[in-house]
Amino acid sequence: MTTFKYILRDTWRLIVHHWVLGLLTLITAGVMLWILGVTTLLSLNLENLLSRLESELVVQAYLVKDNTLDVEAVAQKIQSLEYVYAMKIYSPADSLAKLQEKMGSQSRALDMLGENPIPFNFEIHVHKAEDVEHLVDELNAMPEVDDVVYAGLVVKRISALSRISSRVALIMFILSVIITALVVYNTIHISLYSRREEIGIMYLVGATRAYIATPFVLEGTLLSLLGACIAAAGIIGVYFPGMAMIQANLPFLRNSIITDRAVIFRFCALLTGFGATLGWVCSYIIVARFINSITKPE
Amino acid sequence: MNITFSEVTKTFEPDITALFDISLNIEQGEFVYVIGQTGSGKSTLLRLITRELLPSAGTVAVGGFDLRRMRRADVPYYRRDVGLVAQDFKLISSLTVYENIAFVMEAMSVPKRIVAERTRDVINQVGLWRRRFMRPAQLSGGEQQRVAIARALANSPSLFIADEPTGNLDFHTAAEVMKILFAINAAGVTVVMSTHNQSIVNSSRQRVIELDNGKLIRDEKGGLYQA
Repeated sequence: MTTFKYILRDTWRLIVHHWVLGLLTLITAGVMLWILGVTTLLSLNLENLLSRLESELVVQAYLVKDNTLDVEAVAQKIQSLEYVYAMKIYSPADSLAKLQEKMGSQSRALDMLGENPIPFNFEIHVHKAEDVEHLVDELNAMPEVDDVVYAGLVVKRISALSRISSRVALIMFILSVIITALVVYNTIHISLYSRREEIGIMYLVGATRAYIATPFVLEGTLLSLLGACIAAAGIIGVYFPGMAMIQANLPFLRNSIITDRAVIFRFCALLTGFGATLGWVCSYIIVARFINSITKPE
Repeated sequence: MNITFSEVTKTFEPDITALFDISLNIEQGEFVYVIGQTGSGKSTLLRLITRELLPSAGTVAVGGFDLRRMRRADVPYYRRDVGLVAQDFKLISSLTVYENIAFVMEAMSVPKRIVAERTRDVINQVGLWRRRFMRPAQLSGGEQQRVAIARALANSPSLFIADEPTGNLDFHTAAEVMKILFAINAAGVTVVMSTHNQSIVNSSRQRVIELDNGKLIRDEKGGLYQA
């Protein structure tokens, strides 16, 4: 406990001694973690939107008109395909009723057709938009399937958007982590370098390496933690009003946006923990290396 | 703590031999002067004892323990038992006299109350109580040297290493510093001190170890500066 008090006091001394540098680190870490947080949240929202669109993507498979065809067997065959998430079977009668309902007052036109021309068909939902093309290929290869109908261009665009969104989020994540890590690393390095003589003296008169190192590691961790807290506060301050504005202006996106406050607060807590951990890891690495080099006997 | 050098050679890159084949033994409670010209290897010998340096050949044992075999994690604990006074004082410029001395004990997790008592005692011992809130830069060379001595005394060491502690001091201040060192030795602490000061060596007639170009050329009890 006594040691801990001394270490805390030394940490405070370090921060006060380099307060300008500390402030710059805190701001940079805060901004970078804010960018990281906002990018991640935007990406999550986009993913949400895309997965909603994906869930609404339907492939309609029409079977050949053949009374001897075992529809149940074909259904099982399709159901066993790896891309199929859910499937619904429509009989010719069901399909006609559905069409009539859709056409409303114009449904009388269907009576002119005489015999129901619609064969048994399946409404198939996939896991991901990118699965659609594969599923269509497999369905087209089946002799029992007469025709396959799907929104080809929409599928391609959603798949591409989903891939780009994931990549952008990943790049932003890596960039933010690297920049934050470098800033913390450099701050602690400058802090160590400016006190290298002091560190040497401390070691010479019997201070353990852990006693010397801990205030520097705490300084880095604390600066990153405070930076992450600022980032979290900034995200909360921007996210909810921003999302409220989007909801008001683009009502069709209402169900695709993450608005649960608990989820956002948990995300911010995670970001804060991540920031502190990042600061701790960077500080630990540089402090260990520096003190190792300075305390190594010749 | 007794100190034993067995056939110790220390070379520095690229090819400088600072000490060559040194063998000596210093018993617990001895007062030893290490003399020799600049570059003769005095500081290297002392730095081998504090384990700032490791021998290139041979062994340095303190208290019967080979310093080369000492684990890195154990070095601070060893150094707490070795009081060190360097010619350049090695004081932390950002700390006051009081803090410079107290932090040695703080690093050992000594409770604040005991740190305060002990710090007061050693500052009084070197006569600097009124200067306790000053920083090293505000003190004279002699005062800084006394702070370094007080810091070295803080942990009540069994071994006291002083590298030219009177090198930068006038005659009067040097005599005061020596008085403190003799008092430390009188309490049973082994003192190993390097010096150029002939009058100090000649007036006290202690054991003298003389080095020349890294070689031990004289080891004489009750010796003078000149053989």
